[in-house]
Amino acid sequence: MEVTVEVLARNPDAGEPARHTRAEALERAVVAGGALLAGGVLITGLPRLANSAPSAKQDAEILNFALLIEQLQAAFYAESLAHGSLRGRRRQFAQVVAGHERAHRKFLESALGSKAHRPPRFRFGETTSDPAKFGAAAVALEDTALAAYNGQGPNLTASALGAAARIVSVEARHAAWARVLAGQIPAPLAVDRPDSEGEARASLKRSGLLNG
Amino acid sequence: MTIAVPEHHELRRAALTAAALVACAGVCVTVVSVLSSNRSHTSLPPPARSALAFAHPTPLASGARSPARWAPVRAAATARRAPHPGALPVARIGTRTPESTRNIVQVLGRTRRRAGRLWVRVRLAIVPNGATAWIPRRALGGYVFVRTRLIVDRRHLQAVLFHGRHVVFRARVGIGKPAWPTPRGVFYVRNRLTRYRSPAYGPIAFGTSARSAMLTDWPAGGYVGIHGTDHPELLPGRVSHGCIRMANRDILRLGRLMPVGTPLTVR
Amino acid sequence: MADRTSRPCASPLVPGGPTLDQIDPSGAMCEAVDRIERTTRVGLLKRAGAGATVLFGAWRTPAAAAATTQNQDRAILNYALLLEYLQASFYTEAERMRALKGALARQAHVVGAHERSHVRSLRAVLGRAAIARPRFDYRGVTEDASAFRDTAVAFEDLAVAAYKAQAPRVQSKSLLAALLAIHSVEARHAAWIRYLAGRLPAPDAFDDPMPRRRVEAIVDDTGFIVAPASTSGKRSPRFTG
Repeated sequence: MEVTVEVLARNPDAGEPARHTRAEALERAVVAGGALLAGGVLITGLPRLANSAPSAKQDAEILNFALLIEQLQAAFYAESLAHGSLRGRRRQFAQVVAGHERAHRKFLESALGSKAHRPPRFRFGETTSDPAKFGAAAVALEDTALAAYNGQGPNLTASALGAAARIVSVEARHAAWARVLAGQIPAPLAVDRPDSEGEARASLKRSGLLNG
Repeated sequence: MTIAVPEHHELRRAALTAAALVACAGVCVTVVSVLSSNRSHTSLPPPARSALAFAHPTPLASGARSPARWAPVRAAATARRAPHPGALPVARIGTRTPESTRNIVQVLGRTRRRAGRLWVRVRLAIVPNGATAWIPRRALGGYVFVRTRLIVDRRHLQAVLFHGRHVVFRARVGIGKPAWPTPRGVFYVRNRLTRYRSPAYGPIAFGTSARSAMLTDWPAGGYVGIHGTDHPELLPGRVSHGCIRMANRDILRLGRLMPVGTPLTVR
Repeated sequence: MADRTSRPCASPLVPGGPTLDQIDPSGAMCEAVDRIERTTRVGLLKRAGAGATVLFGAWRTPAAAAATTQNQDRAILNYALLLEYLQASFYTEAERMRALKGALARQAHVVGAHERSHVRSLRAVLGRAAIARPRFDYRGVTEDASAFRDTAVAFEDLAVAAYKAQAPRVQSKSLLAALLAIHSVEARHAAWIRYLAGRLPAPDAFDDPMPRRRVEAIVDDTGFIVAPASTSGKRSPRFTG
C-alpha cells in the first residue's frame, strides 16, 4: 500500500502568501479528515496528492512536462515537413508552427537548464506522412497541449506563470488554426477545459503521438 | 530513453525525507509517501477548479427579427429622401427635443454605404406621421436596442406593452376627442419627464414622435404624450387633445417597464 | 465625432500584406482601427472630435480600497468584465446589423455567444460588485464588414494581451483557472478572425502581455465607450394634453 508524503509547513514563504493559504486550507482538510497523530505519520489509503502549493521545485516538474509536449510538437512538425507531403495552407501552417514549437522548446530548455529532461523517442506513424491524418493529429495535439498548459497554469509560481502564459495563447492560436484547416469550428466552447497530466498523456496516446 | 531521470526521482525522495525530519515551528504534520519505483505519470498536481460557472453560450436566434433600435442625435443633420448628399431634403433633425432632452431617432433597416459614407434610415418626428428618411451615420451616437413595444388600440381604448412576445402591461386609456384624434401610425417614445408640477399630466409623462395633425400651431410642436391624469374618472374615453392618458398608478407601472426608445403603434 | 473619411490607412496589417486601404477603400472606419494598432507606439492620444469625451475613466473600476486579496481579485474581475462587455456588445450589434455574410457572419454568431457567456459568468461571480454595462457607440464599425473584421482582430488580440498581464496578479487559484480558460479562448477567437482577415493566425512564437493602463488607453482611444444620452428631463410637459 502506498503511503503518501505531504510536508505541510505552517510558516509559508513570504513570497507566495496567498498560495500558501491554500496549502494551509489543504492541511486543515487533511487534519480534519484523516486519522492523524500530531507530529506523527499518517497512514491511510489517501489518494496520491502532490503538494500543489506553488514552488520553484514544482515549477520545474511542470515545466518539464511542458517541455515534453513542446519536444513532441517540434518533432511532429519537423517530421511532417520532412516527409514533404503537405501542400498549400497545411504546409504553411506546419512551417510556421514548427518554428514556434522549436522556440518554445528552446525557451523551456534554457529555463530548466540542467533539470531539463531529455526527450523520449517519438513514433508518429502515419500522422506525419498522410496529410489528412496530419490534419487530425495536429488538432488533437494542439488542443491537448493547450489543455495541459491550462491544467497546470494555476499550479505555477507567478513568474513561471507569466512565461507559460506567453506560450499558452500561442498554442490556442495553433489549435484554432489547425481546426480551421481541418474544417472544424476553431473555438468549440466558451471556455477551454484544463487537463490533468494523466488526461493529457492519455489524449496524446489515443492520437498515436505518445507511447508508453 | 526514459522520461523520468532517475537522479531527479531520488533527489525528490531525499528532499522529502529530510524535510520530514526537520523540526518545524509549531506542530508539523507529515505524512510519508514512498513513491513507487515506476515513476508515476500522474505526479503533477491536478488542475484547479474554476471559480466561474460557465453557462451554455446562447447564440442569437438565427432568422429572428432584430430588436428595435434607437440612437441619440449627436449632430444636427438634414434628413433626405435617399442615402446621398444630393437627395431631396425632408427635414432638419436637431440634437434637442422641445423638452431639452437629447433628441433620439428610431433607426430602421440596413445601413447603406454611398460614396464612402454610411447612411441610416430613421423614423422622423414630423407630419406626416411615420415618415422615414436617410441621415449620415455619423450624425448619430451609439445604438440602443429595446425589446419592448407599446400598442395603443383606439377602438378598445387600451394600451398593451410587450416585452418580446410577452404581454407585461395592460391598461385602459383616454385618447384624443374626435376633433383632435390621437394619430394612427408607427412612432417611438422620445423622452420621459418626471418631477414637474403639472397634475394634469400625472407623475410621469413620456414624449413620443407622434404629432397631432390638427394642432400644428401648438406651442412646442404639438407632440402626443403618454401620461397620467388628475381626472381618472374620465378614463377610458375619448377625452384629450391627442395624448394618451392613463391612471397615475398605471403610468407609474409603465414607467418601470418601458424604456425611452420603445416603438409605439397606434391602431 | 471627427470626420473619419479623410484619414488614409496606409500601414500594412502584415508586412508585405494588403493595406487597410485595399481592404477598406473608403477608409470610413480606418481611424478607429489605426489607433488601436498604433497606440503601443504612440502612447496616449488626445481625444479628438467635438462632443467626444474620455469616458473609460468613468468606467474604470475603483482602485482596491485596501490591497486585500479579495479586493484585488475583484478589481481584476471587473476589468475583465468591462472588456467582455465591450466585445459582447460589439459582436451582438454586428450580428443584428446584418452587414456580415458567410464565414464572417458565422464567426460573429459563435464568438458573440461566447463573449455573452463570459459576461454572464463574470457578473454571476461578482454579484452586486459587478460594474454595470456601459453604453457603446461603435461608430459604424459594426455596420461594415471589413471595418468589423479588422476591429475584431484588434479586440481579440487586445483581450489576449490584457488577460495575460493579469494572470500572474490573481491571488485566488480557482479564479486564475477561470481566467486562463477565458484567455485561451480569446486566443482561439483571435486566430480565427485573423484567418478570416487573411492574416497569420499565430504571428509570433510568444504573445506579449499588455498592462492595464495601456489597454485602457487603447480602448479610450476608440471612443467606443460613451455616456448614455440624457433622455429624461424635469421640464413641464407641453404635449397636446
